[in-house]
Order: sequence, then C-alpha cells, then structure tokens
Amino acid sequence: MLGAVLHRLNPVRRLGVCRQLATLMALCAMLGAATAATQTLERALAIASDAPSFPSEHSAVELTLPDDWQTSRPGSSGSVWYRIRLNLPAGPLDEPAAVLVRRACGALEAHLNGQPISSQDGRRERIARQCYEPQLLVLAPALPSAEGNVLDLHVIGEPRQHVASSLRAGGLSVPIIGPQSEVAALYRQQLLVRSTIPHALAVALGIVGILAFIVWAGHRRQHFWPYFGGLCLAWTVLLVGWWWPYLPLSAAAAEWLITTAAAVATLCGVQFLLRYTLWRHRGVDAALWAQCLLVPASLALAGASHTFAVASAWYALLALEFAAALAWFLWLTWRFSRREFALASVVAGVAAVLIGLQIALQQLGPEGPVDPWWALGPPLLLLFAAGLLLYRLGAALETSDGMQGILEARAREAAAEMERSFAQMAEMRVEQVTQQERKRIAADLHDDLGAKLLTIVHTSENDRISSLAREALEEMRLSVRGLTGKPVQLADALGDWRAEVMARLAQAGIEGEWKAPVDEVTQALPARAYVQTTRILREAVSNVIKHSGASYCKIRCRLLEKDFQLVIQDNGQGISMEFDGKLDRGHGMASMKHRAKQMHGQCLVESGPGYGTVIRLTLPL
Amino acid sequence: MNNILLLEDLPEIRAWMKALVLQVFPGAAVSESARVHDALQLISSGSVKFDLALIDLGLPDGSGVDVVAKLRDKQPDALSVVVTIHDDDDHLFPALQAGAFGYILKEQARELIAEQLQRISAGEPPLSPSIARKVIKYFAEQAKPQHDPLPHVQLTERESEVLLRVAKGFTLPEIGVQLNLSRHTIADYVKQIYRKLNVSSRAEAALEAQRLGLFGRSR
Repeated sequence: MLGAVLHRLNPVRRLGVCRQLATLMALCAMLGAATAATQTLERALAIASDAPSFPSEHSAVELTLPDDWQTSRPGSSGSVWYRIRLNLPAGPLDEPAAVLVRRACGALEAHLNGQPISSQDGRRERIARQCYEPQLLVLAPALPSAEGNVLDLHVIGEPRQHVASSLRAGGLSVPIIGPQSEVAALYRQQLLVRSTIPHALAVALGIVGILAFIVWAGHRRQHFWPYFGGLCLAWTVLLVGWWWPYLPLSAAAAEWLITTAAAVATLCGVQFLLRYTLWRHRGVDAALWAQCLLVPASLALAGASHTFAVASAWYALLALEFAAALAWFLWLTWRFSRREFALASVVAGVAAVLIGLQIALQQLGPEGPVDPWWALGPPLLLLFAAGLLLYRLGAALETSDGMQGILEARAREAAAEMERSFAQMAEMRVEQVTQQERKRIAADLHDDLGAKLLTIVHTSENDRISSLAREALEEMRLSVRGLTGKPVQLADALGDWRAEVMARLAQAGIEGEWKAPVDEVTQALPARAYVQTTRILREAVSNVIKHSGASYCKIRCRLLEKDFQLVIQDNGQGISMEFDGKLDRGHGMASMKHRAKQMHGQCLVESGPGYGTVIRLTLPL
Repeated sequence: MNNILLLEDLPEIRAWMKALVLQVFPGAAVSESARVHDALQLISSGSVKFDLALIDLGLPDGSGVDVVAKLRDKQPDALSVVVTIHDDDDHLFPALQAGAFGYILKEQARELIAEQLQRISAGEPPLSPSIARKVIKYFAEQAKPQHDPLPHVQLTERESEVLLRVAKGFTLPEIGVQLNLSRHTIADYVKQIYRKLNVSSRAEAALEAQRLGLFGRSR
C-alpha cells in the first residue's frame, strides 16, 4: 500500500519533496564551514579545576580542540578551565569581535582578560545541560588590542559513564572567532539547526502522536495507530535532550527517562510494524512490555557510574530488535502485498540506516564522523510515515465511501426483496386461512342447511314447496362453489353447462341445439362469474321448459374479443310486453339482469307474442 | 336385487329412500344403517350378501367412502352407489376410486332417482363432465414416466374418446350417435372406465403401502 501511495503522488509533489531534502542537505554542509573573516581557535591550555577563575598556567596542559573528555581525561567529572590566546589578524576593530562555541557540554562560563563576560548558568551545578545548543560570546565592547588577549572558558560537565549517550558527555568544540556580525550569522544558523528545528520537530511529533491516538479512538479496528502514536510520543521524549535547559529535570532523571523512552519507542515501533502487517504474537508482546520495565530497573540498579555501559548494551539490543522487526515486516510485505514492497523497502532501509546512525552517535559523540544533526533523522522519517498513513486513511475513506454507496444500493435491493417476499407470504397465508374458513363454512352449510332442505324436499306434501326447497338446495350448492372455488376453465364450464342444459331439455321433450367453440378455449372464468352464469342459464332454460311452450331451443356461446356471449333462443310463444311486469317475477328476468349487472355485463331480452324469446347475456372476460 | 344396504343418517330421508328402493325393487330385503361403524360391522360379519348398497358420504362417525372400500374388499359382487348431497368431484371422486359404481344426487325428484337407480343396476352408471375430466387427469398422471408403472391399467383409445366427449358435455346417447355405437356399448365403456379407475386406485394404494413397508415382511 505504501508503494501505491508513492505511485499516486504526482510528479510535481515528488519533485517538491526532493527539493526540500536538497535544501536541508545544503544547509548542513554550509554549517560546517567558517567564512573567510573568521578563525578557528584550536590551541588551548586546559586544567581540571573547580576554581572561580583560571588557576596558574603551570599545571595546565596544552591541547588541541575539540576536547572530548572521554579521550583526554576519561572518567573525570566536574569542571575544566580552558585558556585560549587571541591573536587577531589586523582588521577593522570598530566592530566588536564575537566567539561562537558550537558545543560546550554542559555549562559554560567565559572570562576575557580575567573579566567574566558570560555565565550561562550562575548556579554552576554539575549538570550536563547545554550539550546541544550553540553559544555566542560577544567580546564587548571591543578588544583593547589585537594581541595579548586571553579568553578563559570554564566548562562544567558530566563524564561519559554518567550519561546514556556520548552526545551528552562533557567536552568543548572548536570555538570560532570573528567579527560579531559574521559570527552571529553563523550562530543563528547553528541555532536554527540545533535548537529551533529540533524543538519544532518535537512539537510536531507530539501532535502527530496525539492525532494518531485520536484516529485510533475513532477507528478501533486499525490496531497499529496507537503504536504509531506511542512511537511518536516516545521519540518526542527522546528529543528531550534538546529541550533540557528548559525542563526541571536532574541529569540522572533525564538519562533515566531518555533510555526508558528508547525502550518504549522500540516497543511501539516493533508493534507498529507487526500490527501494520496484521501479525501478532503474544510472546513478543509480553517481552517488549517486560523490556520497558527492565530498562529503567537495570539503570537504577547499575548506579550512575555505569549508565553509559548499561544504556549502550540496551541500545544495541533495542536496535537489533527493531532491525529484526523491520526484516520481518519486509518479508511479510513481500509475501502478501508485493505492490507495496518497493516503498516499504525504501522506508525500512532508511529507517535501518537512521537507527544505525543513532547508535554511532550514541557511541562516538558529537565530534565523531557522524554529525549530531542526524539525530533528527528518525523524527523526520516518522513525520513522513505519518503523512503516508494519513494519506492511506484518506484513500481508504474514499474507497469506503464508494463501497458504501454500492452496499446501500444492495441493502435497499435486499430490503425490497424481503418486503416483496414477506408480502407474498402474507398474501399466501391470508389465502390459506380464507380457503380453510370457506371450506368450514361450506361443510357447515352442507351438513346443516343441506340436510334440512333435503328433508323438506322429500317430506313435503306440497310439490311447489319441495321444488322450491330443491332449487334452494341447488342455489346453496352453487353459492358454496362460488365460495370455495378456484377459477373455472371456460372449456370445462361449457362442458358442464352443455351436459346440464341438454339433459334438462331432453327430459322436457324439447329439442335442444348447442353451439359453442369446442377447441382453443383457454380463458378462465372466476368462480363467481361461473356460478352466476350457471344461475342465469339455469333460469333461462327453466323459463323455456316451464313457460314458453317451445319445441325447440338453441343455445349459442360465442367468444368475442373481450367478452363472452351466451344466447338462448326458443320458438315458444314469447313473453307479451303487457304481461312483462306481472310475469317478470315468475320468469326471473329481473334477477337475471341484476346478476349480469353485478358481473359488469348485461342481459337483454327480446320477445314478442308468437316470435319466441331471445335472451342475450354478455359478460366481460 | 334381493339384499340392499341403505346407509343414511337422517331418519326421514332414510325412510323415504327405503320406500323408493322398495318401489324400484319390490320385495327386496333392506338393511338400514345410520352409522359407518354399523355398516362396516354388517359387511364384515358376512351374514348378508348384499347385491346393492346405497351409501351416503357425510356421516356423523365417518365417511361413506370407507364403507365403499370395505364392500369392494369383502363383497366384490355388491354394487356400491353413492347417494349424496355433494355434487362436486372433490367428494365423489374418492368414492368412485374406492369402487363406487355411480352416484345419485339426493335432492332430485323421486322419478328421476328411481330411473337412475334402475339404470345403474342395469349397468349404465352416470358420468358427469367434471368427473370425466378428473378421470382423464388421473390416468394422464398414471401414464407419466416418473410414476410407478401400473401394468395393464390403461384406458383404451375408445374409452378415452368417450371420456373426452363426456367432458365436453355430450350426453351418452349423443356420443353413441357420434361414434356410431349402440347405447349398450357406450355403457360398457363407462362401466369399464369405472372398473379401471378402481383397479388402478387399488394397485396404486398397494404400491404405496409396499413403499411404506406395510407388506415388506410378509413376503
């Protein structure tokens, strides 16, 4: 994924990053050199003394600066007086001269020709406080003469054994003398690199660390965020050396804190790498946490005079652990996400080199081959990594937005599908319950009403009553059929009607003719329509048999485009219009018309005395 | 028709039916029964060999279909006729499958029922279009390949032809004219259809029983 990020960076931005790096490197190179008008002061008389001023020159030893106490006086602690003779080249003396002391670890006091000109720390405590920042000594108001001046520098510091890093061991770098304006310019450059930038980096790292925790609070599933935050915060503490003058910490406490912070940084760094590759091991977790307790404990037990030895051992071990974690991280990246391997290996390589440089700095000190500025490498890399992580988070957010859209659409589909099937199920259930209820009603009707009607049919002395009861029974049966029935195929209905009508006509001795489409009838009639049509047909045929006196009856069924037509025609005496009103009830014309209307159809009766009767029933299909 | 079984739960109707039966078959011995249980016992005892059984379907203690089946089993020579108030094939078809030879709707006029009784006993059972459709469907299902083959129970072409025409609403005499067959021959076809329906149903039931393992051990 890192590779993808680098890939996505557009060329302009990539170029910008490179240019910034180049500028920084140029600045570093510039700082090493002094300008033409300035001189380095390399020769000095040195004497270890706690005296308030430079003691007698007799016991002093001449040496070449820079003076690293670890090589010139190993093991000794306390204060050293340096005497430097200033023989300035002839030049304009209207401007006061100034001396730049790049490094005097830890406190510096200066006397010019026996008069104190600067005391950085009036308390003169044996503390290694001022190991990182440069100091500017203005030889004010002006040197009395060009020659014969004596600059005494009193340095109070700690021996290397008492500190965890050579960077904080006592010593004095090469002072640079020159016109105040030029030396001040140099001083400002030094101040920028050795104070302002480290302070800014520490603040930035602290903020990034807190931000990482905030991101984690909102995104708990990415477990590497708290470790990244922890790494940033721990490294902020590692930068505490640069802040030291402003923090109320004793030297021993500061060393203890810094070394412990290194253990915590290792814990967080290793865990971050492992979590980032989604790898976790309980043993590793426990060992790293135990180490965070062991480091401060071992320092406390070993005592102040063994601080450097113990810390060196720990630093070496921590560096090895981190290197192993880097290797494991690269291996997992190679196996599981080949695309990111390029960027991952570059970042890991830089990290490994930077860690190596930290160890070198810790061992060799500020005057060694490694510039102390490299101590700022890891914080810069961490900020770069934070940028990558945040970029990735943003990209993931964008992806998830897209995914969310897709998921929402799918969820909507699924919900709609569920609603549909639920509605279908509910419908089916209603249908089922309705069917059961109808069956129950039908059975009750048959058993109770049917039995009673039947008894009337067969026990009544009155023919009219028994025939009425019989009709009622038939009606009841049809009603039940309408109640329980499913749609009836029109072809089946035609078969039923034909059988019934022809049988009844034949029984009554009337010649019947049935004309209906026999084949290709695919339509279905709703149960109700079937039942009502059966009633109308039955009524019509009854009329023909009972009242018409016809000898011939023709029934014609036709399927029109959207309608179904039934025509019943007889050659009987017809229904006289005068009698229509009176006879209507007996003939049931009104109920036939009413039933047709109920089905959104119509029933027309054409009749005249002597012309027979034609009943036309038209129903929508 | 000497011994007649009359199964009917309504006393008035039973009395009326008995009178009607005696009118159609003078001198017959009518065994009356109001419950399925009694009728089954009467048949099982074998004390009376029935020639004709008029069986109601909806009875207080069960269905007349059981009586039809029992009679078909114990006294295969007896003629079972369903006399019912139900005219729908849902009720009639199971009785026909169980071995009923025709059906009569109770509410019909006395003369009509008498005529139908005579026809049935003469071997001319009625067949409505809806029953015919059901029979067609039943045999079509049986002929389907995935169904267990039931050997020798298939309708002949002529039987199918008659069924199809009945389903379309043609009366048996009309079909006789259309196919140029005598009334007797048509009646024989219908009789044959009834018989095959029963035989096929019984074979199917046996097969089903075998599948359920009812006869698995006694082989």
